[in-house]
Amino acid sequence: MSEQTEQNAQVEQSAPQILTFCTNDNAILEVERDVAERSVLIRHLLEDLPASGQAIPLQMVNEAVMKKVIEWCRHHQKDPPSTGDDDDSRRKTTDIEEWDQKFMQVDQEMLFEIILAANFLDIKGLLDVGCKTVANMIKGKSPEEIRKTFNIQNDFTPEEEDQIRRENEWAEDR
Amino acid sequence: MSKRRGATSPPLYPSPKRFRTSRSDHADQISTLSDELLLQILSFLPMPSLLICQRVSRRFHDLAGDSELWKKQYYSRWVRPRARRLANARRDPPPQSEVKYSPKVSSWLGHGHLAKKGMGTNWKRQYRLRHNWAKGACRVTEIEFPQPPCRQMLVTFCAGILFTVDLDNGLRVWSAEKPENCLAMISLAHPRSSILPAPTAMTATSDSQRSLVDVAVGFEDGRFDVYSLDTVTLRLDMRFSCLERASGAITAMASYSPYILLVSQQKVLYLYKITTDTNDTAGLLTSDSTLLLTSLKADNILEPISLSIRTAGSEIMASIVYSFYHIGCGWSLGIQALHFDLVGQQIGSRVTTTVDCHYGVDLGSPNRSSGKCGTASWATDASTEPYTRPADPSILHHNPPTSVSYSHPYLLTSHADNTLTIYLVVSTSTSLFVKGCRRLWGHTSAVSAVQVNDRGKAISVSSRGDEIRIWELESLASSLRGQKAVQDGNGIRISPEVRRSGRQDTIKLALSFQDISPARSRFFEVPHALGTMRGCIGFDDERVLLRREKEAGTQMLECYDFT
Repeated sequence: MSEQTEQNAQVEQSAPQILTFCTNDNAILEVERDVAERSVLIRHLLEDLPASGQAIPLQMVNEAVMKKVIEWCRHHQKDPPSTGDDDDSRRKTTDIEEWDQKFMQVDQEMLFEIILAANFLDIKGLLDVGCKTVANMIKGKSPEEIRKTFNIQNDFTPEEEDQIRRENEWAEDR
Repeated sequence: MSKRRGATSPPLYPSPKRFRTSRSDHADQISTLSDELLLQILSFLPMPSLLICQRVSRRFHDLAGDSELWKKQYYSRWVRPRARRLANARRDPPPQSEVKYSPKVSSWLGHGHLAKKGMGTNWKRQYRLRHNWAKGACRVTEIEFPQPPCRQMLVTFCAGILFTVDLDNGLRVWSAEKPENCLAMISLAHPRSSILPAPTAMTATSDSQRSLVDVAVGFEDGRFDVYSLDTVTLRLDMRFSCLERASGAITAMASYSPYILLVSQQKVLYLYKITTDTNDTAGLLTSDSTLLLTSLKADNILEPISLSIRTAGSEIMASIVYSFYHIGCGWSLGIQALHFDLVGQQIGSRVTTTVDCHYGVDLGSPNRSSGKCGTASWATDASTEPYTRPADPSILHHNPPTSVSYSHPYLLTSHADNTLTIYLVVSTSTSLFVKGCRRLWGHTSAVSAVQVNDRGKAISVSSRGDEIRIWELESLASSLRGQKAVQDGNGIRISPEVRRSGRQDTIKLALSFQDISPARSRFFEVPHALGTMRGCIGFDDERVLLRREKEAGTQMLECYDFT
C-alpha cells in the first residue's frame, strides 16, 4: 500500500504538471500539461520520452503562434477528445462557434501559421476551425475575388479559364 | 500584425517567413500550404465552391478536382440521403455509423460498383453524371438509320454498345458514345437455304470476364443464331446457328450468359443453354452448341410480354410476364417463374398474378396503400372500409398495357391513360407473389414504353415521344415493402409519405426539348417534327436510347447522353 503511494508520488514527480517549450524564435513558454496534451504530437512525445524537465523544442512554431495555440487549447481544454474519424458530418457545416470565430480574427499570415502549427502539433479541433475559417473566406466568392483575397496568381490563359468555366457549367442552376 | 510582433522579443534567427511579413498584403500566403492542407480546407466547401475554385489557378484546379473530394461530395449528396431513406422505410434508425461517410464499399448501398478498389473511379465525373440525371440535363444526338428502312430492323443495347440487325445490312455494331460510325458488321447467313428469313427478335448479354457480348438473333422461321463481339478488339463472329427450330417465328428473347430464353409465335417458351466444348487441348477448336433445357406451351399469353432471366445463388430463374384479361379487374399481369439448377434441371415453377393486388389485397393487409394510390374515386371508397375486400378493384385497366418491363423485383407497365403501374415482385424460397402496386402519375400523354433495371431506375416515354421520364423506384419499393411494419402502427401515416416520396423521386427529365440548354443540345435540330416513338431501346448509367419514326418513314436513333 505504502509502496503504491510512493510509486504514485514518483509518477507525479516524474510527470510535472507544467511543461516548458522552446519555440523556433527561442522563446520559452510554460504550459500546463493538460492543456499541452490537446496536441497529439506532444502527448505522444511525453509518452515516449522520459520527462527531463528540459524545455521541449518546437522547431516549426514561433512564439506568437504558439501563444495563440495555447490560448485555443486552454479554452478547449474540457472538450471531449475528437474521435479521429474522418466523418462526414464534421464537414457538412462550416459553422464555427462564436469564441473560435473571434479567436480566428487574425491576419492571413497568422491564420495560415495557426493551421500549419495545428497540423504539425496534430490538434484536430484547431485545424478544423482554421480550415473552416479559410473555407468561409472562399465560399460565395467569384474566382477573381478568391484570387484577390489570397493574392493568388492567375496562371491560366483566358482561353483555358474559359474552357474550365464551360466544363463546369453543368452545375449551374438552370 | 507587425505591432504584435514588435511586442514580443526580437527573433534571434530571422526566418524567411519573417521577411514576408513586411509585405504580407501582397504575398500569396495560401499557396505556401501543402496540398494536403489545402485539400483539408477544400473538403469543407460545398460543390459549387469547388467548381469556382477550379477556375482560380492551375494548382487549385487540380486540387479542387481531386477525386477523393468528389467521392465525399457524391456520398453526402446521393448515398447518405438514400441510406436515411431506406432506414426510415425500415422504421428502425440505423446506427449512426451507417450514415456517415466511409470509404468502405460495404456501406455504399448499391453504389459499391463505383467504389470498388482499384477501379480508379473519377468521382467528379460520377457526380456530374448523377447530377445531370437528377436535373434531366443531357445532350441529344440524333442519328438517322440508313435508308431504306423499309424492312424491319431490330435494335438492342448492351454494355454501352448498340446492335442493330436487319435483313439487308446484317448485324451491325455501333458505339453508343459515337453512334455515327459502324464499328463492326457481319451479314446474316442461312446454312441451308439461299432465302434469308427475316430477323424477328434479338437479345444481347455481356460477359464482363471475357469482355465478350453475346448477341442472339431470332428469325421468323424459328431458328436463332448466336454471334459474339469482342469488346476490346471489336471482332464480331458468328458463334453458331441453332439447328433446332422453334415452332413459328421467335417473338421475344432474353439472355443471361450462357442462357437464352425465347418465346415463339405459337406461345411456346424455350430455354437454352449455350455449351462450349473444347475439343483440342490448345483450345483452338471449340464448338458451341445449345442445349434445350425446357420448353413450355402456354395457352393464353397475350402481348405485351416481358422475358427475363437471372441467376441467384445456384439457381437460374427464367421469368415470363404476360398480360391477360381478368373479368372484374381488367387487364392484369401474370408472372411465371421457372427455377433451374445450374445443370438445367428444373427445380420448380411458380405462377402469380397481380389480380389480388389490384383489389388491394396484399398479404392480408387490405387497402394499405393501393387504395390510396388508385384513382380518386376508388380511393375514397376503399378508405372508408379499410378492412374488407372492396367490391371494386382499386386499379382497373380497361386496355392492355402498352409495354411491360420486369427486372426483379420491379415490374412496370405503361398505359395509354398517361400512367405507369409499378408492382413489386417478391420471390422467396417457397413462394412468389406480388406485393403492392402503385400508379405512377406524371406523364401528360399516353405512355408507350417503359424499361426498368434491377436497381430501380426506370425510363418511360410517351407515344409521341415528346416526354421522357426517369423514375427512381427504390424508395417507392421500400415503402411498399414497409407496409407490413406499418400495419400494426399507424396505417394512415404512410400514405402521404408514399405519395411524397413518389413525387419527389419523379424527376422531371429533359422533358420538352426546349428545356435542354442550347449548349447541350448542339446536335439537336430545334424545329423538330416529332415522329412516333418506336420504343425505348435501352439505357445504362450514362445514356438513354430511343427509337423514333418520322413521318417520312425515316427511323431515327436518339441518344440522350448525361455525361
